[in-house]
Amino acid sequence: MKQLLNQKPIILLISALLLGALFALPLVVTSPALMQIFILIILYAYFTSTWNFVGGFAGVLPLGHSAFIGIGAYTSTVLFQTFGLSPWFGMIVGGLLAALVGVIIGLPTLKLRGAYFALATIAIGEGMRVLFENVKQVGPFKINGPSGISLQLVESSFMDFQFDTKAPYYYIILIMLLLVLLLTYFMMNSKIGYYLAAGGEEPEAAEALGIKVARYKLIALVISCFLAAFGGTFYAQLMLYFYPKSILGLDLSFEIAFIALIGGRGTILGPVLGALLLRPVSELTRIYLGSSLPGLHLIIFGLVLIVVMRYYPTGLVDPIKKLIDRFIHKPAREKADDLSNPS
Amino acid sequence: MSLLEVKNVTKRFSGLVAVNEVSMNVEEGQIVGVIGPNGAGKTTLFNCIAGALPPSSGSILFDGREVAGKKPYDICQLGITRTFQVVKPFGSKTVLYNTMVGAFAQTKLLHEAEHNALEVLKFLHLDHKKDVVSKSLTLPERKKLELARALATKPKLLLLDEVMAGLRPSEVTDMLPIIRKINETGVTIVIVEHIMQAIMNLSEKIYVVNFGKKIAEGVPHDVVANEEVIKAYLGDAYVATQH
Amino acid sequence: MLGIIEALINGLLMGSIYGLTAVGLTLIFGVMKVINFAHGSILMVGMFAAYWFVKLTGLNPYLAILVVVPLLYYFGYFMQNWVIKPIFEAEKDVREPITVIIVTTGIWYVLDNLSLLLFGAEYRVVKTSVTGKIFEFYDMYFLLPKVIGAGITILCAIYLYWFLKHSKMGKAIRATSLDREAASLMGIKQSKIYNIAFGMGCACCGVAACVLIPFYYVYPTVGVPFDIKAFIIVVLGGLGSIPGAIIGGIIVGIIENVGAQFMASTWTELLLYGVFLFVLLVKPSGLFGMKQDF
Repeated sequence: MKQLLNQKPIILLISALLLGALFALPLVVTSPALMQIFILIILYAYFTSTWNFVGGFAGVLPLGHSAFIGIGAYTSTVLFQTFGLSPWFGMIVGGLLAALVGVIIGLPTLKLRGAYFALATIAIGEGMRVLFENVKQVGPFKINGPSGISLQLVESSFMDFQFDTKAPYYYIILIMLLLVLLLTYFMMNSKIGYYLAAGGEEPEAAEALGIKVARYKLIALVISCFLAAFGGTFYAQLMLYFYPKSILGLDLSFEIAFIALIGGRGTILGPVLGALLLRPVSELTRIYLGSSLPGLHLIIFGLVLIVVMRYYPTGLVDPIKKLIDRFIHKPAREKADDLSNPS
Repeated sequence: MSLLEVKNVTKRFSGLVAVNEVSMNVEEGQIVGVIGPNGAGKTTLFNCIAGALPPSSGSILFDGREVAGKKPYDICQLGITRTFQVVKPFGSKTVLYNTMVGAFAQTKLLHEAEHNALEVLKFLHLDHKKDVVSKSLTLPERKKLELARALATKPKLLLLDEVMAGLRPSEVTDMLPIIRKINETGVTIVIVEHIMQAIMNLSEKIYVVNFGKKIAEGVPHDVVANEEVIKAYLGDAYVATQH
Repeated sequence: MLGIIEALINGLLMGSIYGLTAVGLTLIFGVMKVINFAHGSILMVGMFAAYWFVKLTGLNPYLAILVVVPLLYYFGYFMQNWVIKPIFEAEKDVREPITVIIVTTGIWYVLDNLSLLLFGAEYRVVKTSVTGKIFEFYDMYFLLPKVIGAGITILCAIYLYWFLKHSKMGKAIRATSLDREAASLMGIKQSKIYNIAFGMGCACCGVAACVLIPFYYVYPTVGVPFDIKAFIIVVLGGLGSIPGAIIGGIIVGIIENVGAQFMASTWTELLLYGVFLFVLLVKPSGLFGMKQDF
């Protein structure tokens, strides 16, 4: 914590202002449609931040993150529909289930070349979608195959995780995101963060320094799956209706990975930046061009990804940070130039 | 009791015998050299001791405990740390970060790891580079970083795999006192080299391997006089010059 | 009983076509250690090319091979040269090239959605001289284009295997996949080899695309199920192994077709994922995988 506050005063001030603005936003924005867009940006930043624990720090590429999000959404929802269990508890159960699935995939694949992990996660993501599309009911739990689940509407209440207005959803996901970012920060600045980075970059050297690389990767995967499922529950409560294609499968998984890579994987703010850049593109093209030019936003995603990877392979956080640094320290600009361009 | 006792270790790769019934003893506090021409099996022997490869047969006792076939990370936790011939820094991270990864073997705490890592860097005169990203280091600096990272784990036994290979003669003369200084802090060192001179004045005891077999052992003075060693080395050298 | 034998043979036929797409994938992986996630999209491009060729010229669909295969070869060649190479080079010292993998996914997205934009989402079929023809064999009935298609793909796979084993270029490709540095010391120009391997991998998709056209729908995301199956196949057969890809393909085809005798086709898809997970758990190197490729 000390380190977190041990920054330049100007940066602390800007961060405090930003946080204040974020919390004040619902007071200013009254349009539910606009609020929904903000909520989705934060939700995707959250999804991607949970992805970041594995994809960013453990040096492997998960391409089936939607599987864990879907597990979260389905678990909390069926428990609520069947037993009236508060989605807050269902969220924890979903998290545990997702973590368990993570262990099952991670144990055999994290020891192998990264390609195996990427392939296995794609297959799990798609397999999960096919499974949920095929099953109408498991024991007492109705999941309705491809048509999905509409949540039973109840009166607005915190325990039931349903609200009449958008503001409570906004605050909940904002706090969830901030907590995950804080966790990311602490992880990066701890033994486990150092070990993950080392194992991701040079596994052989890392093992020679006493690091059980596969085990640390597994820990990261478990944390990631557990938290991703929370996001799934949130999605279900926000939308009140979801079906396998909307929450499982490739599209969501890829969008998360794209956001991470474009923003900057393995950085704290990369997922937030990526979501800020990509989500509006997707919303705007969908609203204005969705019917005339289907799939245009996905072409834009793909092209942006390819171009960013070509010129900024570590993502856009670094170049943007440099830009901001310049802006803040204008007087010291020349000196900074000297430092950033060692000859 | 010796700190490290290698008994009849053999390593086969589908048909090829890379290490053949090699035995060696390392006493606590010694610097022991393992030399031999290129491809003699030195690095494979090292890989067996450090756990990167399981030996096909034989036993390796460290501090009286069997370590043959154990995983590298377990062996490191027991107190043996190795460096790599082809240095493997965590390239996108700084020198300090790299060294802290090693230091975390002894502690869970960030500030303690940082403190210990800085000490090691100071000891190796690398502290002025602590914030440099490791992939932009020069080769001698990378070799030093490799040493720093290994030292930060506080090993009882340090396995150095050709730390001087690829260095210029002047850089080699810089490296020698560093290795001696490390040894003086109580770290036992086994060093593999194929340049003889470098190892001659460092080691108390030398093992010579050729074609996977130990062909001589003893104090440096005796080993250079050994006929078989001369044959292995000069013969090899002549072949090398003809290419 | 006859039904099962029929399904078995149908599986074999379809499986060999899956196998050829997987051969392309495994060839690229073997040389570059990169999974080409855009592989299914390349197949889709090939299928659209073959579709338009037949539709516009009205010629025999198998003649399309002469056009589509070179087209896809150069498509792959230049895609690697212009899009993938710069990113690959920047990352070549990294053990796990994540950026390249994600870029091939980006290519997948661009290609699939571009074709959605150009051709719309509808399923297209083209009527050819062999479409719907039946091949009768001991009271069992098979689609003639499937039989011809399987024959062509098997021949292609055998040729490719021979090419890699015996031709000079094939040897250079194999040397590069075994040890990049050693191969480049021997004077093999790596980036050229990568281009060629990528081109050949895509050309495999070209062959598969042409033989699929007479009996299969074309639509913008047609590559996705083939892509996923190719992933399952290469893990089943062992990443980097060409015989493994063919045999893996046949296994997948048989599971799919025989399974369909007992359950709904969506469940056979699930069965495939189950088999895939099982192989990963029990023998991750697959049937023919090389150990060092871990």
